[in-house]
Amino acid sequence: MAEKGEEISFKKETVSKLLSGFFKEEKTKLSGDAALLMAEMLKVFVQEAAVRSQKQAESEDCDQVDIEHFEKILPQLLLDF
Amino acid sequence: MSLDADETRQRLKAAVHYTVGRLCQRAGEEHRREFSRQAVAAIAETAFRQCDVFAKDLEAFARHAKRSIVSAEDVKLAARRSTALSIYIHNKSEELAQEQKTAKNKSTRKRKSKDTEESRE
Repeated sequence: MAEKGEEISFKKETVSKLLSGFFKEEKTKLSGDAALLMAEMLKVFVQEAAVRSQKQAESEDCDQVDIEHFEKILPQLLLDF
Repeated sequence: MSLDADETRQRLKAAVHYTVGRLCQRAGEEHRREFSRQAVAAIAETAFRQCDVFAKDLEAFARHAKRSIVSAEDVKLAARRSTALSIYIHNKSEELAQEQKTAKNKSTRKRKSKDTEESRE
């Protein structure tokens, strides 16, 4: 599916629309730089979630990362962001 | 109206889910561990909700600085809780600024060369 070596990241437009939808006031807008940085931050968040879940699965000697592994690392993940 | 908003929300959620799936697959390839569909869905849902938290923070930061546009500075502030993340975001921001600088230089140089060509004619 994904070509090897190619960088996977969130699209700037997606992040922009996503955050704009959550703003309380309608006049609040997102600058282009901020959208790109947020895309990067979201990517780090997901990568961190994936790697920590994998570590958890590894410590339990499981071949597949399951939701319970993610559940165990979730509290610390949320505290770190 | 609210139906439309709901549909946009679902589409955005699907977009996040797709990218999360690809990121998980990539992470799985590196460590030879696959992610279950449920795990991917849970990570996607968490990322989506985390966006809500981020958005409210960013809005508050911008408002505190008496701006209605969220700038890169606000994002840097949102990344303050973890030192490593904060450094990473700072570096990315500088990289972006540098890129824009060179892009600007290029465009002005192009314009200049165009000007000289025109004056020659």
